[in-house]
Amino acid sequence: MTIYSFWIFDRHCECIYHKDFKRPMRQLRPTSALSSTDPKQRNTSGGPPKGSGPLTVDDESKLVFGVVFSLRNMVKKLSGDQESFFSFKTTKYKLHFFETQTNLRFVMVTDTRVDGVRPILEQIYAGLYVEYVVKNPLSPPEHPGGEGVNNELFTLGLDRFLRPLSIFE
Amino acid sequence: MSFYLAIIGSKDNAIYSLDFGTYRQGGDGTSKFSADVRQLCPFIVHSSLDIIEEVQWTNSAMHLKVIDKFYNYLISAYVTSGNIKFLLLHETRADEVIRQFFVDLYDLYVKTLMSPFYSVDQAITSKVFDQRVKMLAKKYL
Amino acid sequence: MAVRTPRQIGEDVWKTRIEKVNAELVTLTYGSVVAQLCKDFTNDYIQVNEQLDKMGYNIGIRLIEDILARTNSERCRSFKDTAEMISKVGFKIFLNITPAILNWSQDNKQFSLIFDDNPLSDFVELPDDGKAINELWYSNILCGVLRGALEMVQLQVEAKFVSDVLRGDDTTEMRVTLIRVLEDEMPVGDE
Repeated sequence: MTIYSFWIFDRHCECIYHKDFKRPMRQLRPTSALSSTDPKQRNTSGGPPKGSGPLTVDDESKLVFGVVFSLRNMVKKLSGDQESFFSFKTTKYKLHFFETQTNLRFVMVTDTRVDGVRPILEQIYAGLYVEYVVKNPLSPPEHPGGEGVNNELFTLGLDRFLRPLSIFE
Repeated sequence: MSFYLAIIGSKDNAIYSLDFGTYRQGGDGTSKFSADVRQLCPFIVHSSLDIIEEVQWTNSAMHLKVIDKFYNYLISAYVTSGNIKFLLLHETRADEVIRQFFVDLYDLYVKTLMSPFYSVDQAITSKVFDQRVKMLAKKYL
Repeated sequence: MAVRTPRQIGEDVWKTRIEKVNAELVTLTYGSVVAQLCKDFTNDYIQVNEQLDKMGYNIGIRLIEDILARTNSERCRSFKDTAEMISKVGFKIFLNITPAILNWSQDNKQFSLIFDDNPLSDFVELPDDGKAINELWYSNILCGVLRGALEMVQLQVEAKFVSDVLRGDDTTEMRVTLIRVLEDEMPVGDE
C-alpha cells in the first residue's frame, strides 16, 4: 500500500500545497520531490517526459481539483447539501477527499487497496494544518501560491505523521 | 469628627483628595472643618511627605500608622509598593480601623489602575472611584 | 456518534481541550491594545472601532479553523443553529461565556447577543472626555471576530454593538445580521 500524492486546495480553488510521494503513474515534468509552489519554477525544471502528453504539476493540480470539485457538486446536487463524497477508485489508484466547513479541500491519491484515509486527512487538518499554518501568526491569512503553508514545521510534521502509517510503504 | 484623605503619586503629585465626616455618633458624612482648617488640610498633609520619605525606608510595613501631628490633628500614612501614598488626616487615634480602611482603599486604587485608560500618577477623576471611597469611609470611619 | 448539542460540545471542549490563561492577562492585554489605539488615533474613536473590527476579522478567520478542528461538528443547517454555535461553542471555549441569544427578527436573519459578563471589559472605565462614551465600542474586536469567522463558513454577516454597560447602558448587546450566504467560489480560467 502506498500514498502517491497529497494536495490541499483553498476556498479560492487554488492549490496551496502539494507533495508527491511515489508515482507509478505517469511522471510529471517537474519531479522535485517537494514540489515548489511558485508557478514560475514549476515549469522550468523539465523532467523526462514519459508516455504521451507529459503533465506539469500545475496541470495536474487543475485536473485533480476539477474532478473533485465536479464530483462534490454532483453529489450535493443529487443528495443534498449535507452530503459529501469520500473517495473514488480507478484500476490504478484511489482518490480520497475531505472538505472542511471553511472549504479547504484535502486530497490524497493512493493505490487501490487503501481504505479509511478520511480520518487521516482530518488529522492532517486538525493536527497539522491548523496548528502549524493557521495558528502561525506570521503566516498570511490567505495562501496565494502556497505562501505560508509550505513552512518547515508543516512539511516536517506531515512527513513525520505519514511515514509510520501502514498505508505508507 | 472630620477627615481629609489625599492620594499622592510617586512623584509627589496629588492624585485624589476628599474631605468627609464620620457617620458615627449622629454624623452626616460631611466634614466639619472650619473654612480655615479646610484650606490648610492639603498643606498639613503634604508637609508630612518629608517624614514619609524618611520613615518608609526604615519600616517595611505599608501602613506607617500615625506619622505626623498638627495641633490636635493626626496624620496616618500608607505607602504602596509602587510608592503611591495614601494620607489621612484625622482627629483621634484608631490605627486598626484606619489600616482596614487603607487596605480596602488600596484595593479600589488597584482596580482603578487596571483600567486601560488610566496611567500611573494620573489624577483620578472617576466618579465610580469617588463613590466607592465614600462607601469605604462610611463603613470604617 | 450521538448528535451533541452545542452546549455539550462547548462544555466538553472547554473542560478537556482548552489551555487556560489568566483572565487578567487577557483583559489587560486587550485593554492596552485599545488604549494604545486611542492614543495612536488621537482619540478618533470611530477609527479605533474600525481598527478593532479589522483586528478581530483577522483573528476570526483563524479561530474558526481552530473551532472546527477541535469540535469536529457538522455544518449548521440554519442561521439559528449558527447562533447557538457562536454562543455555546465559540464564546464558551474562547472566553468561557455564553451570551444569551435574543430578539430574533421576523425573517430569522437578525439576532442579538446579550453579554452578561464580558471578560474583555473588566476594570474598564471609558475616558471621560465626553466623546468616548458616545463613540467608542470598547469590545468591538468581537464584532470583527464574528464577521471573520462566519465569512469562512460562507456566511456574510454584519455584527455591531448597539449598547454597552461601559457606556452606562443596562446591557451589552451585539446585533448580528445575516447579509447573504456566500456561494462556493468556482475555479477561474479553466482552459
